[in-house]
Amino acid sequence: MEGNVMLLLPVLFPIFMGILVLTGKGFRTNRRSLTGVVLASLAAGAVLTVLALLSGDGSLTLWQLTADTAVVFRADGISVLFAGLTAAMWLLVGIYSFSYMTHEKQESQFFGWYLVVLGVLIGLDFSANLITFYVFYELMTLTSLPLVLHERTKEAVMAGLKYLFYSVAGAFLALFGIFFLTTVSSGLTFTPGGVLNQSLLAGREGVFLTAIFCMLVGFGTKAGMFPLHGWLPTAHPVAPAPASAVLSGVITKSGVLAIIRVIYYIVGPDVIRGTWVQTGWMALSLATVFMGSMLAYKEPVLKKRLAYSTVSQVSYILFGLSLLEPTGFVGALAHVVFHSLIKNALFLAAGAVIFTTGWTRVEQMRGLGRIMPKMLVCYTAVSLGLVGIPPLSGFISKWYLAQGALSSGTGVWSWMGPVVLLLSALLTAGYLLPLTIQGFFPGADFDEHEIAARRLIGKEPSLVMLVPVALMAAATLLFGCFPGPLLRMLEGIAGAVI
Amino acid sequence: MSRMLLCVPALLPIIGGVAILFAGQRNAVAERKLEFWVEGLTVLNSLILGWLIFGAGEGDSLVLFHLFGNLKVMFRLDGMGRVFAGLIGFLWPLAVLYSFEYMKEEERKSTFFAYYLMTYGVTAGIAMAGNLITMYLFYELLTLVTFPLVLYPMTREARQASRKYLYYSIGGAAFAFIGLVFVLSFSATGTTEFMPGGVLDLQAAEAGKNTLYLVFLLAFFGFGVKAALFPCHGWLPRATVAPTPVTALLHAVAVVKSGAFAVLRLTYYSFGTEFLRGSWAQWVMMGAAMVSIVYGSTMAVREAHWKRRLAYSTISNLSYILLGASMMSPLGLVAALSHMVFHGFMKIGSFFCAGAVMHQTGKQYIYELDGLGKRMPVTFGCLTIASLSLIGIPMFAGFISKWNIARAGFTCGMEAAGLGMGAAVSGMTAAAGPGIWRFLPFGAVAVLLYSALMTAVYMLTVLVRAYFPKLIREINENGNGKEEKMKKAETAACDPNWMMLVPLLIFSVIIIGFGVHSQPLMAFLTEIGGAAG
Repeated sequence: MEGNVMLLLPVLFPIFMGILVLTGKGFRTNRRSLTGVVLASLAAGAVLTVLALLSGDGSLTLWQLTADTAVVFRADGISVLFAGLTAAMWLLVGIYSFSYMTHEKQESQFFGWYLVVLGVLIGLDFSANLITFYVFYELMTLTSLPLVLHERTKEAVMAGLKYLFYSVAGAFLALFGIFFLTTVSSGLTFTPGGVLNQSLLAGREGVFLTAIFCMLVGFGTKAGMFPLHGWLPTAHPVAPAPASAVLSGVITKSGVLAIIRVIYYIVGPDVIRGTWVQTGWMALSLATVFMGSMLAYKEPVLKKRLAYSTVSQVSYILFGLSLLEPTGFVGALAHVVFHSLIKNALFLAAGAVIFTTGWTRVEQMRGLGRIMPKMLVCYTAVSLGLVGIPPLSGFISKWYLAQGALSSGTGVWSWMGPVVLLLSALLTAGYLLPLTIQGFFPGADFDEHEIAARRLIGKEPSLVMLVPVALMAAATLLFGCFPGPLLRMLEGIAGAVI
Repeated sequence: MSRMLLCVPALLPIIGGVAILFAGQRNAVAERKLEFWVEGLTVLNSLILGWLIFGAGEGDSLVLFHLFGNLKVMFRLDGMGRVFAGLIGFLWPLAVLYSFEYMKEEERKSTFFAYYLMTYGVTAGIAMAGNLITMYLFYELLTLVTFPLVLYPMTREARQASRKYLYYSIGGAAFAFIGLVFVLSFSATGTTEFMPGGVLDLQAAEAGKNTLYLVFLLAFFGFGVKAALFPCHGWLPRATVAPTPVTALLHAVAVVKSGAFAVLRLTYYSFGTEFLRGSWAQWVMMGAAMVSIVYGSTMAVREAHWKRRLAYSTISNLSYILLGASMMSPLGLVAALSHMVFHGFMKIGSFFCAGAVMHQTGKQYIYELDGLGKRMPVTFGCLTIASLSLIGIPMFAGFISKWNIARAGFTCGMEAAGLGMGAAVSGMTAAAGPGIWRFLPFGAVAVLLYSALMTAVYMLTVLVRAYFPKLIREINENGNGKEEKMKKAETAACDPNWMMLVPLLIFSVIIIGFGVHSQPLMAFLTEIGGAAG
């Protein structure tokens, strides 16, 4: 073990605390100590992450796994982006859960696994080579499974198994590519621009491209990319709302991270530019964008609708990456951040509705503005952001994505991309805003007595639940008005890899 | 002195077993005494074996007697033999320890342990056999001494299973015998002694090439019976009626690995890879292993009986070894040997967990396991480790061997597809026939990953059941509105005692240990592979 030990702390500390919470008997009964410890761990995790990110560009070699592969951590630009985002979201959603989880059973189980997953995700973000990455990728699937299974109903268990099998299938599809890449690359350390060895590759292009495509589809599973998206709308909604939020908002981004690492840091964008792999990738991601929006539009259950929306939105990111072009790349990374903020906020808002009223279907939610106006304002703000209305942040990323597509020189795709994105934006407005409209303007025939009888009027969720959502909404607005610093950082990353 | 010691690990347990059998026949041996003798002999034997493996016996060979002519029964411990001998020498004392606890309530214990001990000797004999005829001899003996163990429960089911086992094994050995005869007659040295790279007289062999390929395949399928190769696998799932120590040690390690070991000896040390590489025999061998992998892992998913599911898993995993072997390259042999070792630990660990559950609760089917994870934390903790390793999650041993098999597959595929070394290609494509064969190694890697997925399905469903039992919602409506109560599927059970737990914990530590630090072993295996491939 040599190098910057600071990198290890934000990985091990949450995992350790999570195991403590899972096994400690006192946490099962004493809620006060549970929330105290979890809050402290989340905050400490966030601080440790920031410290690790500030500690410089050192790397940490833990040990040799096989003769030519080692477990190595390093924090580069991409790591800063993803690890920072993960730690921040985890803290906010964690705070929300303290209130939300009071109406669920077995809280210590939830919080224990929640902490473990945080450590694993930070490990994933810090991985410096593909093998280390794969280790944490598999661990992420296994440790996030208990979050999906949390409710333990038959539906939840079946959804959990579906999640597990899709994820493992995707990971193994990717592993096929990893096996192949070891034979044609000089090491698997993430290096901007790729590490392929052209002389080893010569004459093997056919198999090579197939292997890369397998990796795209395989890692795309976690990002909900067609054709292996099926698990996402099943698994995300059955989890408790905070878990759905981080599953949709953060964990799907691991699939994105995987694809960034493989394409931009192992293979190199130049190698696949103009090949059928790029075309196939663009086609799959655009198909997913459209299909996800369409299914979300037709879905009556709010959390499921949001899950379909995730399917569609994460593929925006994948489409931006598939352009292999700096502007699109920046747009994709920006959308990683913005979509994460927005989708977390949306799921938390949906959770607040369930928590207060028990409603799950959108048509039940007429007159919601009478019950929780502040929460609904936050919901509306982030929804508009997701649709892409300036000055909210979603507009910035979509602008870059469209710009990137138009200047990518990919023939028919360079105009087809923006068209599909626009179409999907319309659908996004169509599936998110009815809740706002019916919530604030339930119409003349709306009978208020029913909700009045349940004493729901003006029953805003507690501040513990409201503040995280409000912060996310504020961040959405802030990034929309002042995107400069973030975009400059992303352009720095893009400049290095393309 | 050390030369004479070479025959001890094979003969000592056999003699000891026979002695216990006779002593048990006359009067019931006291339990304590039996345990003392069995464990004592096993440990002593393992120590001698360990001494031979690590210290002495380098290059020595011991000719026990001549059958006739130049058919010698001889022992020698070379690199590959060491790997197998080390594996069984390590596992046997632990398995015996486990069996004492497992068999506590059973009758006819002395018979059981007598045969259990004899099997140790016979398996050691296979590991240390210096030539094909000796190995064949012990291979036949192995069938005979393990037959009573399958028969042991004496139920109708056990009788049928043991009969099936006997027919399959004897039949397989007969095919293997054909291989033995041909190796002897085409041998360059006139003997069947194992030599890295094979003993065939290549010039003579070239003339009767296709016959020899056919003979090789017959022998491959013959030995493949013990390695549970599809379609000769039928006996293995049936044989799970035997007590768990038998299923775990014999039908997951000793017997089936003897089959795989014999195939490796046949391929790399008798026929030689130079003769086989690129031939249609190689593709048939590879194809058979692939079919077997797919079949085994798919059937395992469909099987609800826990031990039978593990048996199907064994079928697929043993074919991983054969698949590695079929690459006919140093890397392939390394991969096969590493999976032989790692799978030994993973599968015996899984079976011991299943056995522990059966012993503590009597539950045999997977749908009965709800909620046991919390009740038997150590057992299921060890099962989790073994499962993750079987699936091939990095940081566990199973990943290392799968990694190696896949690498061997890709390297072999590159060469066969005419993308690598030019020299090997010309001969290869000529013999390979239709061009599609050349992509078989890539298919092999795909099959490997398919099977890994199926492994995840059949191992993790068990764990999910055990750790996350479905809660049954009970809704009571009373005056104050709805009151929801969660009811758990409860069972009173706890972890077994230390005699069963210690082996499990040791296996878990080894699985993780090899998972994170495998270089020393891999370096040793690479040396063997380099010589023989």
